[in-house]
Amino acid sequence: MFFLSLYRTIKFSLQDLTRNIWLSAVTIIILVLALFSINMLLLVKIIGDAAVGVIKEKIDISLYLKPEAEEKNIIALKAQIENLSEVKSVKYISKEDALEIFKQNNSDNPEVLQALRELGKNPLTPTLIIQPKNSDQIDNLTHEIDKIQNDIIDSKNFTDYKAVIGRINAVTDKVTKAGLLLSAIFIFITLMVIFNSIRVAIYTHNMEINIMRLVGSSNSFIYMPFLISGLLYALFGVVFIVLLFYPFLSLLQPYLEAFFVGYNINVVDYFNSHFYEIFGLEFLGIAAINILASWWATRRYTQA
Amino acid sequence: MIKFFNVYKAYTPKAQVLKDVNLHIRPGEFVSVVGQSGSGKTTLVKVMIGEEKINEGKIVLGGWDITDIGWREVPYLRRQIGVIFQDFKLLPKKTLFENVAFALEVCGQPSKRIKDIIPRVMKIVGLEDKMHRYPHEVSGGEKQRAAIARALVHSPKVLLADEPTGNLDAINAGEIIDLLLHINKFGTTVVLVSHNKEIVNRLNKRVITLEDGSIVGDREKGRYML
Repeated sequence: MFFLSLYRTIKFSLQDLTRNIWLSAVTIIILVLALFSINMLLLVKIIGDAAVGVIKEKIDISLYLKPEAEEKNIIALKAQIENLSEVKSVKYISKEDALEIFKQNNSDNPEVLQALRELGKNPLTPTLIIQPKNSDQIDNLTHEIDKIQNDIIDSKNFTDYKAVIGRINAVTDKVTKAGLLLSAIFIFITLMVIFNSIRVAIYTHNMEINIMRLVGSSNSFIYMPFLISGLLYALFGVVFIVLLFYPFLSLLQPYLEAFFVGYNINVVDYFNSHFYEIFGLEFLGIAAINILASWWATRRYTQA
Repeated sequence: MIKFFNVYKAYTPKAQVLKDVNLHIRPGEFVSVVGQSGSGKTTLVKVMIGEEKINEGKIVLGGWDITDIGWREVPYLRRQIGVIFQDFKLLPKKTLFENVAFALEVCGQPSKRIKDIIPRVMKIVGLEDKMHRYPHEVSGGEKQRAAIARALVHSPKVLLADEPTGNLDAINAGEIIDLLLHINKFGTTVVLVSHNKEIVNRLNKRVITLEDGSIVGDREKGRYML
């Protein structure tokens, strides 16, 4: 009995969708636009987080030491810095290592290498590269390092990473807010469009609804096809957004790889690994909105 | 079968449609309700099927007090009352068979039962050879027969016929009335709302006359008198 009623309800609901095919198409297009804006918002968040992560990974403090600094003094200074609570690691790069790195970095620049040869000696200084445990503690760390008085220290380089992260966060926040507003507008439009679609479907079925009432159809049997239509709109909307968004992500991916060179940022993988959370939640959310709109329309327009 | 106790109905405070209506229709009776347009005949039908609620009084149908019937109970009431109208109310894109089947489908009847019942009902109304035709392919009288078949599929205790011959010629109208009499013979209570004088007089059955919402006449073997 239950399955028979469900089968007939779905049958009537599919009749609604096909009899008003253009209305259904417009409704689904609006839904897809709403879902696209939501997914774009998510994408901006993923890329923003990735950018912040990349910068955080790059945060370090370089302590340039005097060329004549003795190895034992350098090791002692390294140990002193390592003891600071904010420090994750300290990497010592000797003059020789620095020269090797410099040569490698400029291997395709013969003029620089020639100049280096003409100089006849190693002009680079030994360096201590300090990585903080937490990027938020960078201020404390620079303050602590600033307090260290040691003759072998030549200079200190504190890049203002905090400002860079701040700027990225500000941009992603603005994009997120704009995206939220856009999504809210789309969701409101979706609500109105679904409401209108169901209203038109009810008018189309006016005679059938009257006859259903006349012959003793249960109220749920009258409402359910319209609620199922709302559910089907949500299902089609999510299926179409999956079909559209993955090609879009695939097109975007090479640009992201080029931009974040050396870092593993893969938005396709992210959407794959979070497929059910993202699209499942979107389906549930849109389905809830659609059922709300359908329920509202049926309550208003199918009363006896 | 149907009892009205001091029933009042008004759509607006100034438009009193039914005034102190008292009536008792016994099981198996054939009753004609007559009256001029605006006398309250259709409202009488509407309050019987729970489409309109009364302002005062009490209505009992088959022992069931439907005065304050809830919207959830209305479908169960309508499965006990078959209703036919002047405009047939058939779905044009469904065959006569499908139109009748629709009444059972929407009430959750299994397909096998539907296939069993409909040919039998169609035979009663004389449409067994035309049940796979569409409404536009049959005459007005046949459309009304299909509507009667649809009203009968739930085996109702009462059949309400609101101006069933209004759109039919005299021959078809006579056939529909004969069919209603035939159904009545099987024990179904029939309430015929009509302003067709010849038909009411030909029936020679109980006639209730309404005027301005009040019952002004109730005769066991009455005639159409206004």
